[in-house]
Parts: sequence; structure tokens; C-alpha cells
Amino acid sequence: MKVEFKNIYKNFGAVQALDDVSFSVPEAQILGLLGENGAGKSTLMNILGGVLKPSSGSIMINGEANAFLSTVKAKELGISFIHQELNLVNDLKVYENLFLNDEITKYGFLNKKEMIERSKAVFKKMKVEIDPEAFVRDLDTSRKQLIEIAKAVLFDSKLIIFDEPTTALTNKEIKILFDIMREFRNNQISCIYISHKMPELFEICDSYVVLRDGKFVDKGLFKDIDEQKATELLVGKKLANQEIEYDESHIGDIVYEVKDLTITPFFEDVSFHLKKGEVLVITGLFGDGRGELAEALFADRKIERGEVILNGQKLKMNSIISVMKSGISMVPRNRKERSIISDLSISDNLSMAYFTSKHKKLFVKRNEENERFEKNQKITQIKAESPLKKITTLSGGNQQKVIFSRWFELNSDVYILDNPTQGIDVGAKSEVYHLIHELSLQGKSVIVFSSEYTEIKKIANRVIVMYRGTINKELVHEQINEVDIMYYATGSNLKEKN
Amino acid sequence: MKKIDKQKLKENSKLTLKNIILNHNYLFSLILLLIVGSIASPNFLSPANLIQLLRASTIIGIIALGMSLVIISGNIDLSVGSILGLTAAISVLVYNATGSIFLTLLFTLAFGLVLGLFNGFFVGKTHIAGFIVTLATLAAFRSLTVQLGQGGPLLINNDFYYEGLRKIGYGTFLSIPYIVWIFIFATVIVWMVMTKTKFGRYVYAIGSNEKAAKLSGIKVDLMKVLIYGFAGLLTGLAAFLYISRFGSVDTATAGRSFELDAIAAVAIGGASMAGGKGFIQGSFFGAIILYSINAILNAFGVPAFITDLIKGILILGAVLIQKSLNRNKEN
Repeated sequence: MKVEFKNIYKNFGAVQALDDVSFSVPEAQILGLLGENGAGKSTLMNILGGVLKPSSGSIMINGEANAFLSTVKAKELGISFIHQELNLVNDLKVYENLFLNDEITKYGFLNKKEMIERSKAVFKKMKVEIDPEAFVRDLDTSRKQLIEIAKAVLFDSKLIIFDEPTTALTNKEIKILFDIMREFRNNQISCIYISHKMPELFEICDSYVVLRDGKFVDKGLFKDIDEQKATELLVGKKLANQEIEYDESHIGDIVYEVKDLTITPFFEDVSFHLKKGEVLVITGLFGDGRGELAEALFADRKIERGEVILNGQKLKMNSIISVMKSGISMVPRNRKERSIISDLSISDNLSMAYFTSKHKKLFVKRNEENERFEKNQKITQIKAESPLKKITTLSGGNQQKVIFSRWFELNSDVYILDNPTQGIDVGAKSEVYHLIHELSLQGKSVIVFSSEYTEIKKIANRVIVMYRGTINKELVHEQINEVDIMYYATGSNLKEKN
Repeated sequence: MKKIDKQKLKENSKLTLKNIILNHNYLFSLILLLIVGSIASPNFLSPANLIQLLRASTIIGIIALGMSLVIISGNIDLSVGSILGLTAAISVLVYNATGSIFLTLLFTLAFGLVLGLFNGFFVGKTHIAGFIVTLATLAAFRSLTVQLGQGGPLLINNDFYYEGLRKIGYGTFLSIPYIVWIFIFATVIVWMVMTKTKFGRYVYAIGSNEKAAKLSGIKVDLMKVLIYGFAGLLTGLAAFLYISRFGSVDTATAGRSFELDAIAAVAIGGASMAGGKGFIQGSFFGAIILYSINAILNAFGVPAFITDLIKGILILGAVLIQKSLNRNKEN
């Protein structure tokens, strides 16, 4: 299928999301679409998928110019869009989801048998084992992702767009996905792959197109560039290859201790300590109980057994606000679901934790909120038109900076950061690393939950690797490398003993 | 993507009439209705008629203020009509027993608050959906009221009434009725609570993203109890005005289906039923718009049997206008 973008413009109000973008999608190849958050990738793909209408420009499909594809037209042409967020109905079965709105009927009744048969055939083709009659609710995230892909296979797509499909997948599942994508390529199906993860892009994609600030920047073949070059294209030359040098002279005595913390079946007898000014990374693989541990440390989940000690005092872990007041802050994972309050302004979002734990006066004053915003803007470099705009007008990276500022306001002793760079672009990531470093220099202790090796290497003084709900290994200094982390995260050391 | 048209921004933030109407769409509906009303009847825009309009919208208006909080927090309160009936009925008994306006007001507010907290307790602490809890108390409170009046009306002792409460129901200050002053005063107070206090921020935050609100340290469960309590308190105030105005309570019908009018007023005022969005001043004007619709239907001499049909259509129209203006604003 021949697809060519011609002079695509798209603006949302005053914001120019796409600015004269033209390029053609190579046939029967996997194209990596690169760009920071806010570069216009999703906007462009939504235009291709028929979700958005371009302000001007056209999409040539097999030589025919289209000013606008509706979702129906896009589907007819064989364009499938696998979104970052899953669009499945949890309360329906797998096959019912696959055929949703395209049900096969016989004499006006659903032809269940036929639909199940065809679902089985698709899964067989994809070489995955999923029971078509299982409820989607009971499947894990990776399987749900595979069902989305199965939809594309089922309806004979000619072009499949993958928008960060690997976020929720384990390495093994990513491998399966990549095998499926290669199979697509062999069958002359074009793929467009959007991801922030360089190793994946280099592994799976043939060619690349880079967008920056809504403009087309470059295209070429991955075999002609290296990761350094790709990063430069993404961010412009400025931020590439910026490494943070850590010295550990500012690290002091133990301030925070966790003893025998247990919530079955998620994790058991987790004990560790944290020193003043230290950055501790807790890592592992899917299903290691990390997420639940992070929630427990912030009293968002009821602890079954064990205790948490801060500055020699045993903490009452019965409510979030009491944990906050005793000197602990948390930037939660999954910003959209757990952090940003989308109907509120940037400054209200920023002040929220201040309101709950420090604000004593009867009234909230707009100018105090503005001062708080300006003070934090200097520290975290939030790029915003006005603090009164809704937080959703910001890019992901800037939203996350607002959330960081929310917690900096509390001046806590311990900062728990749960996957703090999730879904933000390379430039913003690097800024977050600097913020973490700043915190540690100020004598704050930081716990970062993360599973990105490049990130861990940059920020960690010490790493705890979890495996199935227990601490498997603690790593320091030169031990902090991808090979060692993987070795312990997969529990390889434990299998040898058995 | 970060290219910002400075000039355009400046224009957006200017306090032009166009911007005010775009930001407060309900005003558009109100102006439209007032124009239609003045066509229907030359007297429609006379001060006397406008004051009458305001007076008629007071009771629903005050209930709508409380309903706004519940709806902005992402919930609903179906029981306000029954709370009004029950508190009004008991207030009549209190007034007849004490003859004191002050004690009656105090008691009515307190009783409304307690009934609201009762709803809130089930929503906040047992996590039963607000729709279900208040559906149950809608029936239960009404039943209690009817039992109290044995199916019939409860009358205020006439000697007291003409000397006391009636003055509140019918008296005026600067030729504007007391009850309208009370409505305006209540609106200002609730508006301040919602825009100038952290309580108000929490209400918006919970309606917008409950999980994020909780993880910022907001005691979400407690807030829900308080929000329903607040709605009950305001309904209590409305009940006080109700008995001041009517001097009696028909236990079977007093306040019946007021919840629907209150919800309509809040919706017309621009609140989203999904929570997180809404204005107190919107609900104030929403109630007035609702009663303007009634008044216009009267002025046009629409037959009584089909007034609700036309009212329903006009409510949909008002909400549609508001939605399409919103869309214009976003694009």
C-alpha cells in the first residue's frame, strides 16, 4: 500500500502541531517514527487513522489524494491503528472483542462458532496461545495488546500503526511482538512503529522518519545511523550525550528504614534502608511486586506486616496524609491516571499537596499560588504560557515537571518516585535526572522505581533488584549494569541453586 | 508544537463581551430567553416580572447550589426533594412548638445537614454509588414525611405565621424580596467556598481525578461525606424558605421532583455530569433560566398538558447551546 503525506498542517488553537509535513511511507517495511513527546507523531498518526482532520494538506493513498480519511474509510483501506491505550471491552470475551462492530451473523443471529474458529485461526497465525472464549478482564496487559494486534490481522490490514506497543510488555513478549511484525513485513504489510526506546527501534525497524516541533526533520535507514546520531536527530544537538557525574561525598547516615514489609501475594519480608542524600533504585521485571511496594510505602495500600522508620520514628502507615506530613513525598507512576487533575489549572495542580498538608488559612490566594508557581518554574523549568491554563495544555514532560513541583513544595526528607520518566521524551527525561540529582545534593533521600537500564545507570547510587516479591540482590557501583540487573531480575541466580 | 501566537493569546484573555459569553455560556441562553420572553409579552422585562422570576427560582436555585457541589465532585444527589419535604415538615412542627424563627432556621439547617451527612456516610464510607444511596433515601425520606403528616398537610399555626415567618417569605428590602437576597447571599458564599478555599479545589479535584486527588493527600472519603452534608444543609435552607413562603407542607408532594429541576439547573449552568467541571454562578443562572422557560410558556399561553414537553425540549436546547459554544472555545 502506497501512502504519502503531502504538506500536512494541523493546528490546535494557537498551537501548530504539524507544520508542512511531507514524506512517503515505504512499502512492506517497518518504519520507525521518531520524535519527542509533542513532536507531532500522534497527531500525524491520528490523521492517518482518520481520527483527526488535517488543517490543510492531503494523504495520497495508492495514488489517490484524500483531504481527510474518516475512521471508517481508513479501516476500509486497511489501515489499523494500535493505540497506546487499549480499546478493549473488559466484560466481553476475546472473540467478542475481536469482532466488535463487525460480528458475523447467520439469519440475523450471532454466528458464535464461526467467530471463534476465525479467532483461533488468527492466533495460530500469530503463534500465540489465547483462548477466544476467555474474558478480556482475566488477561494480562500483554495479552490484551496481542488481541489489538489480532484485530489488525483479522481484518486484513495493509498498514498497521503501533503506538508505543511495548510499554506494558515483558522482554519475552516484546520478542513475540517483533516476530509477528517481521511476519507482517514478509506478507507485504507496512508497519509504522512509534517508540521512545532506542534499542527496540534499532532492532525492529528498517527505516526512520524524524519529526521535531511538528516539522519533518530527516529520514533514512537505521543501518546507516547509530543511537548517538538518532538521539541527536530527536532532540537537536544540544542535549545528546549528556551524562551526569555522581560523587558520593554528600551521602550521610541512614534516615529511612523498611523492615519486613509484607503484603501477600505481592511481596514478602522486604527490608532495606536509605541514607541521607542517596538515590536508591528499585528495579525488576513485570510481576515483581514493585508497583504494590511503592503504593505501600505511601500508605496507598494497606500493609499486612512490617514497619517503616524515618529519622528513628516509626511511621503510622494508616493514611496518605499522615505519611506526607511525616516527611515523605511520592510522584506516582502513570501520570494520566494517578497524578494530573485534568480539569484543574497548572497552578492548582502544582499547589495540591501544599493545600492538603501545609495550607492553614481560610482562603486560597491567587497571587500566592502564582508565586509558588514562579518559584518552582525556576527550579523545574516548566514551559507554560500561563499558570492559569489547564494542565492538559502542557506536553507530557512539562506535566511531569508540574507534578515534581507539587512535591518539592513539601520539602520532604524522602522522595519516592514511581517510574518518573514514563511516557516523557528524551529531553524531559534528562531534566528529570538533573532534578533527582539536585534533590540528593540538597540532602533529600530518593527512591526511584524504574525498569529502564540506561536511566538506572545514570541516577543510581545503589540498586535493589526484586524478583517475584522479594529482594533478590543489591548492586553498587560497577555492578550497576544491564547484564547484572537482568541476571538477578530474572532470578537466574536462584535457578542455579535448585 | 510550542509555537504560540502571542497576539491571539492576548485577545483570548481580554474581558470582551464575547469572551464573557464564551466562558459563561449560560448567559447566552438567558439573554436569548429574555428576548423571546419580551416578544411573548411586553411586560416580560418589567422590573416586577423580573423580580417575580427571581423569586420563583429561589428554592430550586438554592438546592441547585448544593447539587452543583455534588455534581462537580462526580456524584449525584437524587434525595434533595425528599430532604426538602422532610426538613420542611419537621420545621413546621418545630415552629409550631417554639414560635421562634431563629430556632426554626437553626433546626432546619441542622436537620438538612444531618440528612445530607447520612447520604454522605454511605457514599464515602461504604462506597455504595451515590445514585443508589440517594435513590434509596429519596424513597425513605419521603415515606417518613408522609408518615409524619399521615398523608395530609402540616399547617403552620396561623397566629404565628402572619406575625413571623410570613414576613420572611413575602417581605422585601430595597423592593427586592428577602428570599431573593438570601438566594444571592447563599450563591456568593458557595461561590467563595468553591473558588477561594481549598475545600472547593478538592471538590473539583475529586470530580476530575479521584485517584490523583487521593494521592495528593485529599481525604476523599471524608470529602464525600462533607459534600453531601453541604448539599443537605443548603436543601435545609431551601426548606426554611419553602415554609416561610407557603405556610404549610403537603407531606406527599412538597419538594417532589425538585431534584430533577435542580439537576437541570446545574446542567444548564455548564456543569459536566462526569464531574470536574461547573460553575456556581452557572447554577444560579441555570435556575433562573429554568424558571424563565416556565414564565415564557405561561406568557405564550401554552396549554398546561404540554408545558413539560416544551420545557424538556428547551432544557436540551440550552445544554446543546452550551456544549457547542464550549466546542468553539476549544478549537
